Amino acid sequence: MFLAVLIALAVSFLLILVRLINGKTTFDRILAANSIGTIIVLGISVHGFYMGRPEFIDISIVYALINFIGTVAVLKLFDKGTLGDK
Amino acid sequence: MDNLILKVCTKVLFTPIILFGLYVQFHGDFGPGGGFQAGVIVAAAFILYALVFSVEDCKVIMPPKLNFFLLALGAFLYGFVGVIGLILGDPYLSYDVLGSTKEAGQHVGILLVEFGVGLTVCNVMISLFYSFADFDFGKKNND
Repeated sequence: MFLAVLIALAVSFLLILVRLINGKTTFDRILAANSIGTIIVLGISVHGFYMGRPEFIDISIVYALINFIGTVAVLKLFDKGTLGDK
Repeated sequence: MDNLILKVCTKVLFTPIILFGLYVQFHGDFGPGGGFQAGVIVAAAFILYALVFSVEDCKVIMPPKLNFFLLALGAFLYGFVGVIGLILGDPYLSYDVLGSTKEAGQHVGILLVEFGVGLTVCNVMISLFYSFADFDFGKKNND
């Protein structure tokens, strides 16, 4: 069953990759990259259970966190042109 | 950035991120984790705070002077634990002599060394962010 979920995640990953490559604006691309991050978080968790090592959930939590912070940083960079104040 | 949702999310997430960093720090002997990862996770909390509020606000809760002090303290802790073993007659960074038994000594040693690594990595990441945050990448280039 976990294998089926992994295959479904891979298919949706490919669909999002298409959206990432021919996205219309920069923000569509950022959204697609963020979605790929979410897919990978799910993939790490499901892969951990599939291989019988549930402690992979820790890694997926870290991945979700870095994904969120990275998206905020890229959006701020496009909004203001810098990561600092000004 | 003047976004209420991001500000509230950051305020809610700040403490759990640091708690998760401590969990990764002290869970390093049993699962994935250790000083480097924990340092980066704790630094991520401060970087998120600096991104959503401002670098000046982040410098209030983590002043650059304290930042440099903790950075040096972590490296000092690592070296000091090694020198203790050297003084007590074992090779450098030998943990066996730190506790009453060999196993207890190794537990104490690895905990202290990993804590030093975590402290240094966390503060190096924060000071790198302070150094490069105000770099100007050029204004608004949408496609």
